[in-house]
Amino acid sequence: MLNSLKGMLLTLASTITGLRQPITRQYPTVPTPVQSRFMGFPALTWDDQVGEPYCTGCMVCIRNCPTQCMSASMMDNPLNAEGQSSRRKIVDYFEINLNRCILCGICVEVCNFDAIVMSHEHEMSTYERNGDRVNLPSLLEIGKKHQRETAWVPPTVLAKARKDAEDAAKAASEKEKAAAGAETGGSAD
Amino acid sequence: MSPVSWSDVLGMVAGLLAMFSALAVIVLSLTWLERKYLGRLQLRLGPTRTGPMGLLQPVADAVKLILKEDITPTSSDRVIFWAAPVIVVISAFMIWVPIPGSEELVLRNLELGLFYITAFAVIGILGLVLAGWGSANKYGVLGGLRAAAQLISYEIPIIMVVVSVGMLAQSLDLRVIVAHQTQIPYALILPLGLVIFFIAGLAEVGRTPFDIYHAESEVVGGPFVEYSGAHWSVFFLAEYINTFAIAALVTLLFLGGWSWPWQSAALSWLPALSGAAWLTPLLSVVWFLIKVYAVILVVFWIRGTFPRLRIDQLMAFAWKVMVPLSFYSIVITAIYLFYDWPAWTLTLMSLAGLVVVGYLVYRRMMAPARRVAEVKARQADRLSARRAD
Repeated sequence: MLNSLKGMLLTLASTITGLRQPITRQYPTVPTPVQSRFMGFPALTWDDQVGEPYCTGCMVCIRNCPTQCMSASMMDNPLNAEGQSSRRKIVDYFEINLNRCILCGICVEVCNFDAIVMSHEHEMSTYERNGDRVNLPSLLEIGKKHQRETAWVPPTVLAKARKDAEDAAKAASEKEKAAAGAETGGSAD
Repeated sequence: MSPVSWSDVLGMVAGLLAMFSALAVIVLSLTWLERKYLGRLQLRLGPTRTGPMGLLQPVADAVKLILKEDITPTSSDRVIFWAAPVIVVISAFMIWVPIPGSEELVLRNLELGLFYITAFAVIGILGLVLAGWGSANKYGVLGGLRAAAQLISYEIPIIMVVVSVGMLAQSLDLRVIVAHQTQIPYALILPLGLVIFFIAGLAEVGRTPFDIYHAESEVVGGPFVEYSGAHWSVFFLAEYINTFAIAALVTLLFLGGWSWPWQSAALSWLPALSGAAWLTPLLSVVWFLIKVYAVILVVFWIRGTFPRLRIDQLMAFAWKVMVPLSFYSIVITAIYLFYDWPAWTLTLMSLAGLVVVGYLVYRRMMAPARRVAEVKARQADRLSARRAD
């Protein structure tokens, strides 16, 4: 009987805003945020320092794609001729058929130029069979949005920074060891 | 008695039509309120898609129900199958004839209003039994018989409490009963009566936790199992009208109807209030509706909290708890009236009854756990005795 009263208080509390909130999510109206580790559709990144895509059109991702959902072509980089860019080749044409993409992330693994990322984009259903063929400008748009929202840093830059820090730490510890060995008269082998 | 004139008849027809439309609007508001409030009770939002805050949901429901195919089973008894919803809904509407919304707002005030209401409440049971029988469906018949058992069992406590209230007010006229409560509502004088009337009223209109005769998981909808479309919606309409009627009766009999707290003081402080002839009746109706909707919210609250009872629990509760308690309420009211004691003695007596019965029910509810503990203690004793050997 006391438990019944407790139950009635609990249900009453859930009708009062501020005590217990409704847990309903108004999903299509109010988008649910995704985790930062979320893997959505692949997109191409944009090099802000030079003002061109990272992608050189080397086709490593295309050769490794298990579903053959991408195609690309390469051209000579006009900015390199002007001396503004270190990339000799640049992407000319790129297309991903997102209907075929299985979001495996192999393209991101194999890319040598930090050029492709798994973005947070996932609500891209269309009514046409070929409605999800995405070309280079839209891929770059999605990539720019992803870079902006996640404060993207190229993975090679991150890796280099990590390696530099490790090297510095190793060098410092060796130096310390050497100094300690000198103090004790070099008896420690 | 003077001969009935045409204007009387026309006035009555117009009044009935007005009552019909008012009750239809109230039922729409109740369905919306129930969905929304039940949603919040269960940490949901309720309807949100149809109009602002889902306000058009009742309209969408009504359109859906009317457009659905109305199926009549081939093996059903046609006449009974068609008559049953009509009987149920007419009795539900007729209950409202003598229920006043304020001193003036009543279709036809009857001196034996409460007697009339209880009489028509019983006719609704007939409709439910006929609906189950006419469907030629075993679940329908089971549900109809359950309805008969449940509603007739709970009719007795309701009538007994109505009799106690009638004894207190010395009248069965609802306006007189409300006029007696301008100082102190009967809820304070006879709390026992309020509790019995509210619980038995829930059972009478088949609301959770007493919705046993149309339990989906047991008798797949009971008497309504073969009904669809407009016919089913008529039962639905009747159920909501009955719920509203029970809430209105709780308000009229125990919560003081349209009289507000410190009514005479407020009227004397604000001469403008008593001066404006149209303002006081309007305030009465608004106050009455506020009270009725508050009772309705409690009904929904109980629905959102408790699971359904078993049929044997329901019948045991009716005959072992409610009926004796209602007789007790009659006896204490009679003693109070006969010896002309002050009102607080009646309050004390009814509270004492409530406490004693509440303790007995609590003991009964705890009995299985107690028995388990006894058996376990005996087993432990035997085990320790064996170890000692």
